[in-house]
Amino acid sequence: MDLEQLRKTAAEVVTREDVKYLVGWKKGSYGYRVAPVFVEDAAGAAELLFSPLCTANLATYLTLVEKKPLPRGQEEDKRKVALFVKGCDSRAVTQLIVEHGIRRDQVVIIGCPCPGVIDTAKLAEKFPETEAPAEVQWDGENFILLNNGEAVKLPREEVIAEKCRFCRYPNPVISDILLGDKVEVREPEEDSGVEEIENKSIEERWDYWENHFSHCVRCYSCRNVCPLCYCQDCILDRLNPTWVNRAVNFSENTAFNLARAFHLAGRCIECGECERVCPANIPLGKLNRKMAREVRDKYGFEPGVDPEAEPFQASFKPDDPDDFIL
Amino acid sequence: MSSNYEPNIVAFLCNWCSYAGADLAGTSRVHYPANIQVIRVMCSGRVNPLYVMNALQQGADGVLVSGCHPGDCHYMEGNYYARRRLGMLKDLMEFVGVDPRRFHMSWVSASEGHKWKEVVEKTVEDAREAGPFEGFRRRQIDW
Repeated sequence: MDLEQLRKTAAEVVTREDVKYLVGWKKGSYGYRVAPVFVEDAAGAAELLFSPLCTANLATYLTLVEKKPLPRGQEEDKRKVALFVKGCDSRAVTQLIVEHGIRRDQVVIIGCPCPGVIDTAKLAEKFPETEAPAEVQWDGENFILLNNGEAVKLPREEVIAEKCRFCRYPNPVISDILLGDKVEVREPEEDSGVEEIENKSIEERWDYWENHFSHCVRCYSCRNVCPLCYCQDCILDRLNPTWVNRAVNFSENTAFNLARAFHLAGRCIECGECERVCPANIPLGKLNRKMAREVRDKYGFEPGVDPEAEPFQASFKPDDPDDFIL
Repeated sequence: MSSNYEPNIVAFLCNWCSYAGADLAGTSRVHYPANIQVIRVMCSGRVNPLYVMNALQQGADGVLVSGCHPGDCHYMEGNYYARRRLGMLKDLMEFVGVDPRRFHMSWVSASEGHKWKEVVEKTVEDAREAGPFEGFRRRQIDW
């Protein structure tokens, strides 16, 4: 990816009259960190970048914007928001369009074909984070880590993020501007994590999830980071009726995690953000990938691919599977 | 498990078919297990999957959702939505280790009193085999 081209395009977009601001990635404050940044002028565009460390899904910020009531006589700012998307992020944007979470004409999508990003946790295990800035670049099949002027070759298998192993859309499915050439689509790997659980007996599965869910601290990070969890009135916050009690115990934690997994069934675009931010390391990706796979195999539906599609849970087919019905 | 264990089953019945079917079973003096607690809803499509989870949290050992046969829904298509959503829920619960015998869905029309009996017998039988569902109970706090 040519950074010069990226910054030039970003500067052009952000100075457009109909663009409010641009959401992108920039270098974080230390180490490998890459932080999301809101750019409002051409000068800000000079610090943008796109590297294997850009794991954050920026589509979240489209719906996180606080909409305050306007003072009388003041007009709403109807300008567009521009954002950088990887393949998976572009699916989140598409799904938001399908659900009327945003309108297509409210966004300028700058697509970045993505050969796969790095799991920073795995990287930090090998190369503990220091205050010195470091960066990672793509190099064909591998990554190159530039740390203190030293270049270290990292094999793809060792550091790649879990979600990228199963990625089927590395190229943005929707974009106004596409940066660089499309990358080759790899054959997705077998989802061994999900299969491992499927091969367990019912009791073992329960024990497995009990072990994980009882560690949940209910920080709701997964909900807050999820690009598709944007209900103004979330059932988890609602007190009347109280769907899920606020007590942090196994029963309520399970109810919370199941409710979230269910609300994402047929909507989750597998960007893996929930798993990345979870402080208790709950394998939420497995839960969501399992549901996504059921939806794909049994119902022949894939979310976030077609902006004209009907939302999965708000539609039906007369020949949906009914083998579980007595 | 003690031998005198009786499962609690919560049944969500649609007003137009299954509730009438259960009523017919009653008026035709069909005997069926008394473990079932019926909650009448206007349509099986009204059953939020969270109802099922809440029932299990609050002490149910099994849940049954019953509606009209496909194509017979009073609201034309409510049961199709229910089938899709609850089918997903069943898969999800099975994946996290909730015994699939605890959750059933059925189509019972207003004239199928005898089918209702069979459905209830099967549901109660399955829940009995699966045993009490203690793991997921909401913790009761007596202040």
